[in-house]
Amino acid sequence: MIRTWLVALLVGLGLSAAGPAAAQSPADRFNHPKHAKLFPRCETCHVGAVRPEGSIWPAVQSCEACHDGTTEKRIQWTARTEAAPSNLRFDHQRHRRSAAPGSTRAPNDTPTCSSCHQPSGTGWMTTRRAIVGQCLSCHKIQREHLAAADSSCATCHLPLVEASTLTEARIKGFGIPANHKEPGFLAKGSAGHGALAKGTPVAASCATCHARDFCAACHVNAPETPLIQALGPDPRSLAIKATLKAPVNHKATDFGRRHGEKVGPRTEKCATCHTQESCLACHAGAPAAAIRALAAAGPGRGVGAVVTRKKPDTHTADFGQKHAPLAVAAERSCATCHVRPMCLQCHRPDPARSGGYHPAAFLTRHPAAAYARESSCSDCHNAQQFCASCHAQAGMTANRPLGTGNYHDAKRSFLFGHGQAARQELESCVSCHAERDCLTCHSSLGARRFNPHGPGFDPNRLRRKNPQMCAACHGFSIPSR
Amino acid sequence: MRPASRILVAGLTVAAAPLAAQGYRLRLDARYQAVSFRGVELDSIPAGQVVQLPGQGPTSPDGFAVDCGTSTPGYCFYFRPGAKLRGQPVTTTADLTAWGFGVKGLTIRASGRVATDLNDRAVWPATEPNLVLTEGYAEYATEAAAGRLGRQLVAGRLGYQGFDGARASFRAPAAGLELAGYGGWGLARAVAIPVTSPALNPLDDFQPRNGQLLVGADVSWRQRWFDFRGEYRREVDPKVDYFVSERAAASVDVYPLRKVRLAGGAEYDFANGWWGSAEASASYTDRHWYGTVEARRYRPFFDLWTIWGAFSPVPFRSVRANAAVEPVKGLWIRGSGERYWFDEDGADTPLVTVEDRGWRAQLSASATVATAWTFEAGLRSEFGPGASSRTVDGGITWRPSDRLMVAARAGTLDRPLEFRFSNARMNWVSMSGDVKLTDRFRLASDFGWFAEARRRPDAAAFDLNQVRMSTRLVVTFGSSADRLPRAGKTR
Repeated sequence: MIRTWLVALLVGLGLSAAGPAAAQSPADRFNHPKHAKLFPRCETCHVGAVRPEGSIWPAVQSCEACHDGTTEKRIQWTARTEAAPSNLRFDHQRHRRSAAPGSTRAPNDTPTCSSCHQPSGTGWMTTRRAIVGQCLSCHKIQREHLAAADSSCATCHLPLVEASTLTEARIKGFGIPANHKEPGFLAKGSAGHGALAKGTPVAASCATCHARDFCAACHVNAPETPLIQALGPDPRSLAIKATLKAPVNHKATDFGRRHGEKVGPRTEKCATCHTQESCLACHAGAPAAAIRALAAAGPGRGVGAVVTRKKPDTHTADFGQKHAPLAVAAERSCATCHVRPMCLQCHRPDPARSGGYHPAAFLTRHPAAAYARESSCSDCHNAQQFCASCHAQAGMTANRPLGTGNYHDAKRSFLFGHGQAARQELESCVSCHAERDCLTCHSSLGARRFNPHGPGFDPNRLRRKNPQMCAACHGFSIPSR
Repeated sequence: MRPASRILVAGLTVAAAPLAAQGYRLRLDARYQAVSFRGVELDSIPAGQVVQLPGQGPTSPDGFAVDCGTSTPGYCFYFRPGAKLRGQPVTTTADLTAWGFGVKGLTIRASGRVATDLNDRAVWPATEPNLVLTEGYAEYATEAAAGRLGRQLVAGRLGYQGFDGARASFRAPAAGLELAGYGGWGLARAVAIPVTSPALNPLDDFQPRNGQLLVGADVSWRQRWFDFRGEYRREVDPKVDYFVSERAAASVDVYPLRKVRLAGGAEYDFANGWWGSAEASASYTDRHWYGTVEARRYRPFFDLWTIWGAFSPVPFRSVRANAAVEPVKGLWIRGSGERYWFDEDGADTPLVTVEDRGWRAQLSASATVATAWTFEAGLRSEFGPGASSRTVDGGITWRPSDRLMVAARAGTLDRPLEFRFSNARMNWVSMSGDVKLTDRFRLASDFGWFAEARRRPDAAAFDLNQVRMSTRLVVTFGSSADRLPRAGKTR
C-alpha cells in the first residue's frame, strides 16, 4: 500500500513537472529516499494514481501518524488541492490501466511508477520528476526530446492553449528545439518553419509551445493565414519573444531601388511581415495595387516590419536643382515616395507662396540667377505668365518704340551693341521685350534689315518645319539660304 | 417615374456598393500672401528743360538722368521710380486622388487651383486665370500596362508639360523596360492653360491662334547598375500642319559602385538642328560627406511659333562642383562653385562690352544642437553677365517635434546690374512657423521685414521697405490610414 502510494506520488509529481512544463512543486521537498524503508508501494500515499476518488497527494494525517511531534518532529505541509501546472496530457490512472489485466500491452511492457520516476539501476524511491528519456523510450520515440517528430509531441503534451494552468514564466522557460536555431528556419523552403508547421490542421510540434498570438507578432497576415488561424488564441504565448529579422536579400545595396520590380503585383511574400502602413512609410503616393493588396494595420495583427523613411543616397543637398535627369529616368521611382503635389509645388508655382525653392530675398536676387541660368527657370515658370507679366506691372517692358529712353543706361550705346547680350541671354530679353520690338530692325520687311541669324542657324530646316516663323520677318519672300 | 429617372436610380443603386468601398485622399491647401514691389515709370521732359551739370550727363531739373534719343525729337526720356505695387494673392489648391470604384486598378486624380489677387489690380503674376485645372484624369493600371485619359502632365528632360489627351504605357518588369506613348491637345509650357489664353500674352505679342497637337513617346530601361531613359516629343499646329517643336532627349544614370553615381543626358532639337542642354556628372555619397563634379551645357529653347529661335541663342558651358562634409556629428559644412562661359556668338561690337563668362560660389554651414535646434549661416557670391550678387545670411530653427517648427532668418544682399545703374542693397529679417494642429490640419505662416535700397547716381534711386507676410492652411481628408504624409517611423 505504501509502495503504491509512493509510486503514485512520484508519478504524479514527476510527470506533471516533465517536459517543457517542468517546475518546482511542494511535493519535491519530500525526501523520498529517506522514507524508502517505510513505503513499499507508491499508491500508499498517492492514491489518486490508481483510484479516481483518491487524491494524488497524501493526507496530512497520514504523515502525522509518525510526525506527531513526539515520535518525529511535526511538519508544516499542506496538500495541493488543484492540479499542478502542466501541459502534459498524462493521466496516471490511464497509464495504470494500461498495466492492468485486460490491457493489450505485453506483460513485461507495463509501466509502473518507477518506469518514469526512477532512473534505471537506482534504489527504491530514488525518485525524480518524470524522466523524459524514459518516457520517450517507452513510447518508442528514438529522438532527443526537443527533436522528436511532430507526431510525437501530442503523445504527451497538450497544445499550449489547452494547458491553461501554465504561467507565462513557465512558458518563457520552454526549451528551444535545435532546428529553431538553424539558418533556414525563419526563411521559406522545406526547412523553413512555415513548411514545418503544415499539419492537420497545424503541426502539433508548433501548437505545443505556440499559439496564434505568438505568430501574429511577426505575421501581419495572420488573420488570413489558415495555418496560424488553426492555432488557438492565447496571449500567454507572447511570453516567448520573437524578433522580426529582415531577410538577407533586403540588405542588398539596390534592394530599396528595385524591390518593387522584384515583387511586382504578387505581394504574398511581403504580406507576411509588411502591412500597408509599412509600405506607406515611404510610398506616400496613391497606394499601388500591390500595396493595397496587403493588410492594413489593425487589431489581430502584429506591428510587422517598421520601415523608416529616409532619403536615397542620390538625394544630396543640391538634388533639388539637378534632379531632373534622375526623375526622368526613373519616374516611377520618384512616384513611390513623392506625391504629385510635391512636384507641383515648384513646377506649378503658387503665386501666394512666399518661399520654398527660392530663398526669402530671391525677388531681389533673381536677375543674377536668371541671366545665366543657375537652373532652368522654364521648367517651372511660363515666361509669359510669370516673367513678362510681372515686368510689365513694374514698367520694365518696352511699351514704346525702341530708343525711347535707355533703360539699359549702364551701357551707353546698348541699343546698337546689344547683339552679344541678346544671344547670350535671350530668355531674359524676352521677359521684357515683345517680338515687335526686335522686328523694328531685324526684319527684311522693315527699313534696317539687320540680320539676326547667328551661329548654327539652318534656314532650310526651319522653313521646312515652320515657314510661318520665317514669314514673320520675310513675308512671302523667304530666302533659301 | 420617367425612364431616364429609373435608369439614373438603377445606376446609382448599382454604383453605390463600389463607391462606398472606394478610397480617396483629398488635400486642400489655402494660402495668402501680401507683398509689394516697385518698378519704374517712363517719363519725359522737353529737351529744352534738360540741365547739363559739370561732370555729369544731361539730367532733368529734378535730378533724373535723361536720354535724348532720336525716337521722339525734342523730348528726353527717363525712368522715375514707379508706384509701390501691392499684391495680395490668395490661392486654394485642391488635390484629389480616389481609387476603388469596384474596378481594381482604377484611379481618378484631379488637381486644380482657384487664385485671385485681393487687390483690384492683379499685380502679382500667375493669379490669372482664376481657375486652373492642373490635372484631371482617370488611370487604369495593371502590372504590365496602364492607360490615362484626361488632362495630365508629362514630366521629363524635355520639360513639365500638360495636355488633354491619353497616355498608354507598357511595362516588362523582368526586363526593366517601360514604354509609353501619349497624345492630345497640348497646353502651354510650364503652365496648365492653353497657349491661346490671354493670360499668356501680357505684352500683346504674337500668339498662336490655335491649340497644338502634342504627341510623344518615352522609353526607360532599368537594370541593376543603370537607368536609361529616352524621350521624344513633338508639337504640331494642326490647322497649318507646321511644327511647333520637335525634340528628343536621352539620359542615363550608372551606379558602378555602391556610393558612386555617374549621370549624363542631352537634348536634341530637330527643328533647329542643334543640340540643346546637356550635362555629365559624377557623385560620391558617403554618410559623412558627399560631393559632385559636373560639366553642363545650357541652351534655351523656344517654340517655333515665336521668332526667338531664329536669333540664334548661344549656349553656355560650365563646370561646377559641390561638396559637403560632417566633421563632427550634427555639423555640416557645404560648399559649391561654378565657372561658366558662353560660346562665341558672332555679335560682339566695339560699341558695347558685355561679360561673356562668370562664376558662382557658395559656402554654408549648419549645426544641429540637442536635436531641436539648428543654426545655419551662409555666404553666396556670383558674378557674371547681366547681374552679380553677394549674400550673407543666417538663421535658427527650432523643431521640438514633427508637429512644430519655428524659424528666424536674417541676411543682407548686394546686387549690382550690368546693363542698368541699379545697385540693390537689401537687409531682411524674417520669421516663420509651421504647426501641425491635428493629423488633418496644418497651419504655416511667415513674416518678414525687408529694407531695400536701389542706389544709382541720380534721383531715380529709391527705397522700398516693406513687411511681407503669408499664411497657409492645409487640410487633408482621406478614407484610410494612408491619408497623411508620413515621416519617420510608422509607429
